[in-house]
Amino acid sequence: MATKELLVDIDSVQITVKLSRTRRLQIVDYASMQVHRGEMMGLIGESGSGKTMLCRGFTGTLGRRDAYISGGKLLFDGIDLVKAKPETWRDVRGKKIGYVPQSALAGPNPVLTTESQLREALMNDKTLDKNAIRKRSMELLEIVQIRRPDIVMKQYPYQLSGGMKQRVMIACAIALNPDLVVADEPTTGLDVTVQAEIMRLLKDIRAEFNTAIILVSHDLPLINDVCDRITVMHAGATVESLPSSEIKNSKHPYTIALYKSRIDLAPPRGELITIKGQPPAVGSWQEGCRFNQRCDFVTDACLVGPHPRFINLTEDHQTACINHASISNKVGSR
Amino acid sequence: MTPRLEGKNISVTFGDILRKVEAVKNVDIALEPGQTIGIVGESGSGKSTLARVLAGIQVPTSGQVFYEGKNIWQGKVAYSGQMRKKVQMVFQDPYESLNPRMRAVHAVTEAVSFHQNVSGEEARNVALNLLERMGITGQDALKLPRALSGGQRQRVSVARALSASPEVLIADEPTSAIDQSAQSQLLRLFNELIADGLSIILVSHDLGVIRYLTERVYVMESGNFVEAGDTTQIFENPQMEYTQKLISSIPGHITKSR
Amino acid sequence: MDEPGNSLVFTGSTMFVIVVSAGILVPLFYRFGPYDFVGEPLQSPSWAYLFGTDQLGRDIFSRTFHAVYRDMGVAFLGVSIPFITGTLIGIILGISKSKKTTSLIGSVIDGINAFPLLILAVASIAFLGPGLSSVIIILSLVNWARYAKIARTKAVVVSKANYIEAAYTLGYPKRRIFRKHIGPNVSSETIAYALSDFIIVILLVAGLSFLGLAATPPAAEWGAMISEGRPYLISSPWVSTFPGIALCWSAISLSLVVDGLNRREGKV
Repeated sequence: MATKELLVDIDSVQITVKLSRTRRLQIVDYASMQVHRGEMMGLIGESGSGKTMLCRGFTGTLGRRDAYISGGKLLFDGIDLVKAKPETWRDVRGKKIGYVPQSALAGPNPVLTTESQLREALMNDKTLDKNAIRKRSMELLEIVQIRRPDIVMKQYPYQLSGGMKQRVMIACAIALNPDLVVADEPTTGLDVTVQAEIMRLLKDIRAEFNTAIILVSHDLPLINDVCDRITVMHAGATVESLPSSEIKNSKHPYTIALYKSRIDLAPPRGELITIKGQPPAVGSWQEGCRFNQRCDFVTDACLVGPHPRFINLTEDHQTACINHASISNKVGSR
Repeated sequence: MTPRLEGKNISVTFGDILRKVEAVKNVDIALEPGQTIGIVGESGSGKSTLARVLAGIQVPTSGQVFYEGKNIWQGKVAYSGQMRKKVQMVFQDPYESLNPRMRAVHAVTEAVSFHQNVSGEEARNVALNLLERMGITGQDALKLPRALSGGQRQRVSVARALSASPEVLIADEPTSAIDQSAQSQLLRLFNELIADGLSIILVSHDLGVIRYLTERVYVMESGNFVEAGDTTQIFENPQMEYTQKLISSIPGHITKSR
Repeated sequence: MDEPGNSLVFTGSTMFVIVVSAGILVPLFYRFGPYDFVGEPLQSPSWAYLFGTDQLGRDIFSRTFHAVYRDMGVAFLGVSIPFITGTLIGIILGISKSKKTTSLIGSVIDGINAFPLLILAVASIAFLGPGLSSVIIILSLVNWARYAKIARTKAVVVSKANYIEAAYTLGYPKRRIFRKHIGPNVSSETIAYALSDFIIVILLVAGLSFLGLAATPPAAEWGAMISEGRPYLISSPWVSTFPGIALCWSAISLSLVVDGLNRREGKV
């Protein structure tokens, strides 16, 4: 692919949570990721991997959870988001970066109609007058493929299905034509049919508006289908970043394990490969690589020292496994 | 051969005179001994309601459920006496399936002492062994549900259900609310239990999960069975448009990659 | 001990334990009784009379701590009886299937809850006559409704939860489900309310006694003592002040505990 402009540059980011005046808890200690303009990046991890907190770094909402970026750099379009002041955020949030929350949790404000919801999103741009807002609102509902926009405009969230609510949220996120949309598990909890539609919608939006999208999920097959690149997170650290087409040449045991444990690859009632154990809980991270208790390729060197950082394999492919060379030919066809 | 569990002419209608919702419309379903079947459909298809009717926790508006030929309803009570142990259920929401104030080991010990002829220390040991088989370590067994992950909670629920030594396990969307890696662990566990002789009725909106575990599947839409047949058949040769839609929605599009 | 909630709970509990222990130990071991005339009236605090003497020459230190069992004890009964009855009624209402009885009793509960507690208390005392036992009776007759409301709402939610359905599918008898599954999960909410209620009732008892409607002289009770000291507020402030401090101390200690627990719940 032609070299694209770098939009998001995250390097060695650390995120810490303030539990009390004296106690701090590190929930992300090494996150590195690069997203280019118009690129669809999948961010994969289990619950507790820190992926959601990393997303909050993009919306400036870390503070609301008593968290802050304690190290590393987070650059968006050249703007330093770590040191960003509220004025900068006002400029960025909603305008340059849109956010789609997890479907099961937030969603549209229950006391606002779709119309009001969209109006709120559009009001961030002071240059739009009432007519322009109305026009753009209808336009947005069409973009997200809602069939009777005139009716839906007047409806409240409780009258909408899960899929439609998410479409409204997506409409709000892209309202002001942002450069980047961060979608945090947008289809978790929704039926697979709706999930497929929403994924297709995101792809269409990316194609039409060249919006970069960071899609957060725990579901590898889903991400692999839809995204250009994939970054994998485990227990507070990014462990691999690669093009999705290269997934079979993955060079990190966790990614390999996630790929192999796909249900659709298993023969009916046959052997289903699983990743043993659970990721270490935040606060009880062990020494060395935090995947070492669950890893099929673990060696003694993996048990000590700090968590490994990214090693550049090619321009597009980074891995945090110190044994990457020896695991290269163990990803067989499956 | 008498089906192990069978539902005949099942209809469930909710609501009152003003507004009726027909969740299940006159369906027939049968589970043969040793079989594992699936009920697949989107939200609102009525599949969970049907599962609950089969489990005896939902009274059908009409129709009957038979366990090994015997009607499960005796008066107002379903599955009385020894029959109760035979059919157990695992629910979708791992966050609601366990008593928030009971530690995992206690929840399972309670079930063990109720169903097996042991009590006290012995019951606790049986419970711990059962949890171990489900992949819950001794240390995790002592935790309260809120300290366990979604996948772990589901496995505790399974352990609890297995304490009754059931013949049939009805699983209502057990994988929908947990991570992919936890899903694989749970499905693998189900596979092992099937190999040990358990029959499972798996309710899900994800055909990929159904495809892995079941021999026979019923496709449900708006309260009706749209299509039913052997799982492999349905996948290779879906007859109805709705079924095709469900298949093409599986993450990974297996039909395309095959 | 790092969490802010924990330090509040610790401080509050310690304060509470102090005043309750004093309430037990002082009456047992102190040399003066609450009704003894020990010396000249209205003497300021000294080594002989730690809190001074009141207008009748009684020792205030002794009276203040003899009042503990009255204020706290009455409040305890006035909370625990409504808590038990209210929670039970609420749960039964919440899981009941009969629509007629539930709406009937539900309306009664809402009716009772519409009245502020103090108004009802004063009105009922006009009926029953003053006295601490009247207070306990009123609270038992009336305050249960507030617990019932909370318990009923929670019981409805809990009874629909999957783990209750699981209990039914596992074949547990209804009695057991009620006792071990629904009960604890509902009462966790009413217990939280009971703690706050305890504070309110302590102040209610003292308030009614202040008005002369509950504890009557010569009883040693904080509200009554504060009231008795009113004519001497400028000249001999210690008569009202020390029982006042004791009252505040008790209320604050419990408030700290409730606050601390809330904070812990919020964070966890």
